[in-house]
Amino acid sequence: MSQKPVSTTETDESSPETDTEEAAATEPEFDIVSNDNPKADAKKFVTGDVKYTADFEYDFQNIAAGKILRSEIAHGYVKDIDTSAAEEMDGVYAVLTPWSEEIPDKRYTSAGQSYMEPSPYDMKALREKVRYVGDPIAAVAAKDEQTADRAIRQIDVEYEELEPLLDFKRAMDEDAPQLFDPDEVENKQPGHDYEHNLETHLEGEIGDVESALEEAEERDDATVIENEYFAQYQSHVLPEPHTTIVYRNEDNRYHVISSTQVPNHVRRMLAQLYEVPIGDIRVTKPALGCGFGGKQTLLLEPVVWALHEATEMPVKIEVSRREEFQAMRFRREASVDLKAAVTDDGEILATDFQTVANSGAYGPHGLTVTSSIGTKPLPMYPHTPNIRFVCDAVHTNKPVPGAQRGYGNPQGSWALESHITDLALAADMDPLEFRKRHHVREGDENKVLGITAGESSSQIIQSCGLEEAIERGREAIGYDDVEQPEDPNKHRAIGVALTRQGSGVAGDELSAAQLKMNEDGTFILQTGAVDIGSGADSAMAKIAAESLGVTPDDIVVESSDTDTTPHDYGTYASSTTYISGNAVKNTAEDIKERIKYWARKMLETPKGNLELKDGKVVNTGTGESVTLEEIGYESIYGEDEREHIMGQGHFSTDISPTPYGVQFVDVTVDDQTGEFEINKLLQAMDVGTAIDPGMAEGQIEGSQMMALEYATQELLTFDEDGNPDVQGYRDYGHPRATDMPEMETILVEPHDPTGPFGAKSVGEVPVNPLPPALGNAIRRAVGVRITDLPITAEKIKAKLDE
Amino acid sequence: MIRYFLVYWGYPSGISMEIQLTINGEQRTVAVEKSESLLDVLRRLGYTGTNKSCDTGSCGMCRVLVDGEPRESCVTPAVQADGFEVETIEGLGTQDDLHPVQAAYVENSAMQCGFCTPGMVMTSVALLRENPDPTEEEVREALDDVLCRCTGYKKNVEAVLDAAERMQGKTLASDGGSKPVDPNTEDL
Repeated sequence: MSQKPVSTTETDESSPETDTEEAAATEPEFDIVSNDNPKADAKKFVTGDVKYTADFEYDFQNIAAGKILRSEIAHGYVKDIDTSAAEEMDGVYAVLTPWSEEIPDKRYTSAGQSYMEPSPYDMKALREKVRYVGDPIAAVAAKDEQTADRAIRQIDVEYEELEPLLDFKRAMDEDAPQLFDPDEVENKQPGHDYEHNLETHLEGEIGDVESALEEAEERDDATVIENEYFAQYQSHVLPEPHTTIVYRNEDNRYHVISSTQVPNHVRRMLAQLYEVPIGDIRVTKPALGCGFGGKQTLLLEPVVWALHEATEMPVKIEVSRREEFQAMRFRREASVDLKAAVTDDGEILATDFQTVANSGAYGPHGLTVTSSIGTKPLPMYPHTPNIRFVCDAVHTNKPVPGAQRGYGNPQGSWALESHITDLALAADMDPLEFRKRHHVREGDENKVLGITAGESSSQIIQSCGLEEAIERGREAIGYDDVEQPEDPNKHRAIGVALTRQGSGVAGDELSAAQLKMNEDGTFILQTGAVDIGSGADSAMAKIAAESLGVTPDDIVVESSDTDTTPHDYGTYASSTTYISGNAVKNTAEDIKERIKYWARKMLETPKGNLELKDGKVVNTGTGESVTLEEIGYESIYGEDEREHIMGQGHFSTDISPTPYGVQFVDVTVDDQTGEFEINKLLQAMDVGTAIDPGMAEGQIEGSQMMALEYATQELLTFDEDGNPDVQGYRDYGHPRATDMPEMETILVEPHDPTGPFGAKSVGEVPVNPLPPALGNAIRRAVGVRITDLPITAEKIKAKLDE
Repeated sequence: MIRYFLVYWGYPSGISMEIQLTINGEQRTVAVEKSESLLDVLRRLGYTGTNKSCDTGSCGMCRVLVDGEPRESCVTPAVQADGFEVETIEGLGTQDDLHPVQAAYVENSAMQCGFCTPGMVMTSVALLRENPDPTEEEVREALDDVLCRCTGYKKNVEAVLDAAERMQGKTLASDGGSKPVDPNTEDL
């Protein structure tokens, strides 16, 4: 997707190391990774010792609280702002409007992506033209939050209202209001047509879909099925609200403490926006109360920065729960028009997948998410001879979508995996057997990955544990032995869906790390990896510990500080375990060379195989050993030669290994009322080696909850003027502990040859398949196909009554 | 859960008064504004382990124990806690000496981002004091008022059941007293 040149490729395959665990590549045995031991830094979370961004507020004697005034209309111009009453209030330090000198007259994208971002530059920090209910107009800094809150209510805004465009399906109609003047947008993306509210358009084709579908229509032994699917808006529902503190430190440098997934991108983007040297900015990311893509963004930082410039004080903004639900970032709504043909003996002839996604008010992640709606699920079935994918991202006056766990895949999987079951049933085949016949396998050259980018983007699949996942899942859920309830109105069935994702953005990732050895043989690991709550710090400690033959307790992890930790693009696209993990692994291999140098010197063995194990370096030939502590002291305080033993490494690659999985949903449906009960959820997931199995299971279980919410709840709704209905948790269908059905998780761990100790990723892949698996279960139980999310009893009943 | 403390911003701000709080067993006299929530007071006193997520009493993440009962501290006016015993996450075990509920959460991987964990753990502690041997259903009921975005609740429920086992056989504070159970029960 990126226009950036592909960076150099490094994989473990090229590693010259022969005297380590590589020898046992077929059946890897690990001491730390893949073992059942707790998250390395778990104790700070259960004691309250952990610090999130908001906790740093108390480090300042005098810090201003900021608040943002947001648009009350969906579309229009701010004609005038009267800030005088707010300015006169006691304890108000600054009031900023779109015309304030601290607000750069410059457009940028909020998408926290690598430079140059594949997202249009279409927004300013505060906005004169407002494009959704929630658009930031003005900002206040005051002595405390209550004062700031009262002050923004004293600001009087005069609007000129314009007709809002709320239905994304009519965004490209001739009579739809035009939302952007093309001159207002820089860094436009491929296929844009702002006169028709089109942010981007992309398409690609393998074979000849139109002819294949036409031929299929003619054949007696083939069926063509067409459906239009719809998936709604979803919130990330981040427990920790977006929070940012900006101040200048004792060296007069800007220090931005922020709840972000992308500290390095934030630093670069702020430097560009405010035209200050990158070196004058330090961004640190404390513990993060969830990201899920919602914090892969430059969101509050520019406003807090401006308030800091205006007040010359430390300033903090912590948004309210209402703002989280109305004015941060979201999963975009989308429709998919899907037409496919299958023969009676189960051959898929062609798939035509056309999607329109709602980019809402602005375009961050519009190109990359919208194209991912097709390019993420479609490569599951790469042997289909004719595949077409067309996507449009259109603007409306609804809230701004961004990145969210799955990144387009949940919308696309909802359509494709529903459709696959209907194709199977049309061919009179079991949907699981049908999938087994068609799904991707290890060794396949997957050309569908490059459908929008030319065949150069194909990838040889180096590990795929789908067969094992399917068989173990099938057995565990009792797929072949479903007992029907006694009540004749109730029907039980098991639905199934497959899923895949990536591990990082192919050709557009970089992570670097550094290891320093202390005198006592413990280590300080400096990694750019960004722990967003999923346990990356722990995973990096475990990877380093496994490499160095020590325990995670011997590794101090310092991460996510742009001053002290090496560069990393940040946590998104399921990149961290694979990309940052490989960087840490390479760093460990690097420092091992220096450790072995000292070991040889101290053991006086110029030759022989050396192994790091249990805090020692052992000569495997003679059995002689020297401890890391002995090496640490000797290297730092030795007589004839001294060295601080350090290692450096980085990782970038043009591939993105695929984690795979299968979802089973066991459901009972009442054919009179449409009501359904989920008896059990099961996912069997090929994540490569699970570095931290407990955390990997947690990702899967949490994903199923997030996906259950997506499958069954209306979530974010709006009135006819574009006002959001959801004000807080109570209006949003967040599952509670008693809402969750029984869940079972099976980890399938094929060793990926390019991953750190064989790891791929797990952060996103499990969020995709539940909605279609539930829809498929209902289809099999009572014979109706729900195409529009959410799946509700009312919709099922309406179809049953047809 | 009964929320009889729940009062939304009933007082104008700026009016200061002194209240007596026992926080994790330590008695303190604290000057508070009448509009201040217990959560804001705790946090500015340094008890930042308790986190603010909604500020409207609907997510349970800011739960602390007030006289042994779980309370949403964000909608509990500090003045209403005058004279009460407040227990926060900082009052349980330390990283070197975890309370059995904390240890069970750690060993069951029952947290990811950790933002809801203090509310979850305090709610779990309150449950196990009242009901040392809960069923899975009872655990789910007890945790129902605390939202978690990361875990899907499975490991949290398993952690509480595990903690109950760890604590079996020990006398629990059934009077809602401020002292947490003996952290050393972990060894049993």
